Amino acid sequence: MNRGAPVAISGAGCLSASGESLMQNMKTLFQGKRNPDRPEAFSSSHPVTYPVFEIRYPLPGINDGQKKSLSRTAQLGLAAAAEAIKDAGLDPDAMSGLRVGVCMGTTVGSTMNDEQFYRDFKNMLEPDMFAISRYLNSNPSSVISKEYSLKGPCQTIVNACSSGTDAIGIGASWIRSGICDIVIAGGADELSRISYNGFISLMITDPDPCRPFDRNRKGLNLGEGAGVVVLESEYSLKRRNKKAKAFVLGYGSASDGYHLTAPHPEGRGLKRAIADAFVESGKKAGDIGFINAHGTATPENDMAEARVLKEIFNGIPFLSTKGYTGHTLGAAGAIEAVYTVASLEAGRIPASAGFSEIDPEAGISPVTENMGITGKTALSESLAFGGQNAVLILSTEGI
Amino acid sequence: MKIFINGTGIAGGFGCGSNALLNRLRTGATCEPSSQDGYYPAFYADISSLYDFVPKKALRRIDHFSQLALTGAYLALNDAGQDSFDKMATGLILCSGYGSAKTTFSFLDSIIDSGDNCASPTLFSNSVHNAAAGHISMMLGIEGPCLTISQFEMSVSSGLLSAIQWLCEERVGQVLFGAVDEYFDVLGYCYKRWYGSNGNISMSPLAAEIQSAVPGEGAAFFLLSRDKSANCYGAVTSVNTGIVKDLKDNLSEDSFYILNADGHIECDRYYSEIIPEGSLVSCYTPYYGSIPVGSAFDMVIAVISLREGRIFPAPVTVRRPDNYRFQGQDCTLNQENISCVKTGIKGEFSIITLSHTG
Amino acid sequence: MTINVEELKKIIIKELFLEDITPGDIDDNAPLFGGGLGLDSLDAVELVVIIQKHFNVEIKDMDEGRVAFESIKSLASFIEGHTKS
Repeated sequence: MNRGAPVAISGAGCLSASGESLMQNMKTLFQGKRNPDRPEAFSSSHPVTYPVFEIRYPLPGINDGQKKSLSRTAQLGLAAAAEAIKDAGLDPDAMSGLRVGVCMGTTVGSTMNDEQFYRDFKNMLEPDMFAISRYLNSNPSSVISKEYSLKGPCQTIVNACSSGTDAIGIGASWIRSGICDIVIAGGADELSRISYNGFISLMITDPDPCRPFDRNRKGLNLGEGAGVVVLESEYSLKRRNKKAKAFVLGYGSASDGYHLTAPHPEGRGLKRAIADAFVESGKKAGDIGFINAHGTATPENDMAEARVLKEIFNGIPFLSTKGYTGHTLGAAGAIEAVYTVASLEAGRIPASAGFSEIDPEAGISPVTENMGITGKTALSESLAFGGQNAVLILSTEGI
Repeated sequence: MKIFINGTGIAGGFGCGSNALLNRLRTGATCEPSSQDGYYPAFYADISSLYDFVPKKALRRIDHFSQLALTGAYLALNDAGQDSFDKMATGLILCSGYGSAKTTFSFLDSIIDSGDNCASPTLFSNSVHNAAAGHISMMLGIEGPCLTISQFEMSVSSGLLSAIQWLCEERVGQVLFGAVDEYFDVLGYCYKRWYGSNGNISMSPLAAEIQSAVPGEGAAFFLLSRDKSANCYGAVTSVNTGIVKDLKDNLSEDSFYILNADGHIECDRYYSEIIPEGSLVSCYTPYYGSIPVGSAFDMVIAVISLREGRIFPAPVTVRRPDNYRFQGQDCTLNQENISCVKTGIKGEFSIITLSHTG
Repeated sequence: MTINVEELKKIIIKELFLEDITPGDIDDNAPLFGGGLGLDSLDAVELVVIIQKHFNVEIKDMDEGRVAFESIKSLASFIEGHTKS
């Protein structure tokens, strides 16, 4: 692993159940508000209803044609990308002349899982092929690339829960290597009846609002949303006479090689990912002002993560924001990176929602109140099904 | 920077392993798709070699997609002579057009047939896109970074960019890079609905007026490194992607082009827009079918061609348009570079260029 | 309703793809997990669904599961005890 140059973040956008813009999201987080509820967009015949963090407002900037022809995940990605591009002060028309890549993470967004189509297919009812056409037209990265007539590389990463983190890390490498001057990077995922039933079947969902790191946590709540950053080279920023908001200093990724759905109990892969991110960024544990943890509120994840946090970052404040957004799967890492940047800019972090009692076995607790931070550098981490771990080190040093 | 290909593993409708493919290339023996589900004929993959590496008992919960991936992975490592390898210094990238779609639909079956509260957690876990990469990393003990990519026809070129990045950054010492797609009944149904029942099961790529694609499945894996091993086949020298209509620079007429034309009229029509007239070309898709990650299969053929120093003739059913040169009998490969070209339905293209190690 | 233990074993063997195991290999009183069958936590949640599907008996959480899955015998008793007549 080599030391890498910082990569500028010039814009950020985000939508989730906590708000339709990054500003609204952060306002909701600092107000400590959360509103998980039974799903409205679909129903399930499970005897128990599990709360979800559903977006119930119209997606900003998405027109009727897009609503019909694109998957909800693609729409979420487009909406967040639009906010990030505007935040970066980028002229969409000017982008088509530049080498701009798109790297998005997703889970549901790349899955051919239109339930109604499949039911009709099974019942030999000759379903309308539109569902398949929509799936083929809805690759989240391709959708953004096409919307802005971009000419750079496209990559949709489907690394389950670490996809969003990986997408930003990979996008940053494209800037460093000179493949692109600008990369639109992030993640998007919609709530889906399929995922809902799937996670319930794994018995890792909480019938109550989730409680990351809490002693009595029972599991996750699903959510939906998107987070996007604009990554940009120094050269491009100078040309546009714009400044960075923050930097991606480092990215680490590693596998547990342990189990399909449970993390390595000692966080083997997570530790390696953190170590690689340190090498790339030139930072060490003592430089980290706070950690945005994965914190899904499942017994196994939070325990494995707590062990690593205690071992490497003992005493450094950490939080999970999944208590405000639910677990947004492929979007999670990107939303959390965007929250991390916004928190660094604000000089404060929100309380970790859903936590009230320390787990004695974990021995550490997240921040329970909004808290000022003086550090300029933070770490955001994601642990995924399949044992994949991804870490970003983000900073406002030098801004 | 050159990225060396030190091992390769492949399984598809032609058989299991590079030798099975080489045999087809040498003899021109055709591959026949079979009709197993009543929707469409397909080139079903042969993964029999997997059981040489993994006892069947260990595969009990592992779905077909992941078994395809494991087959390619084990074959590539075996080909590279890496019975043991540095697990911490190895990364894994897996590319797929449609992912583990069969398992996704099996999961839906569990819900539709038995109710929401009988959804199968095993099927759900396997249906998550990166499950195959997870299985490979667990079975082989890989502890480096892992990436799964879903970009339809551009999955392979997109994934290669990341593999090259990792090696340049020295994030890892080598990358186990693979591409997998599987046939599933809904895919066959889509073919049937869109293209009609295909009584003619002969793929005739580059026949501009005939929709003749036959779906295939399989896995193609490579061991990539900055260091050249004794088993090295060749090197990846460049990966270019873009939109056909925006392509400004003319491609070189000196390369040998392997076209992933597969009988989909809407994709095949773009080749004539980017490949210069008079270029030396070939096409081998009738050996394995129409697969979104077909570029990786052509890369295997390219590295075999580099090693053998030969250009193998295209299967007889491939059309030979007048504007290109095809070799009738196989002949010596005189070109320095082989470029594997694939176009997508929206006019995207990828060109992966391989060369001798030099 | 009395559960036929042989049938229960056959269902488990089939649904968990334990191809090389026969009902005779499974000791009625031996632990289902941590024993020779090589089952893990993913198999445990799959077993919950199998019991729901074949016997319409719900295992609410893994605390209940731990009791039910102690052995084939305890699983059979659990199913019998929770089956609505």
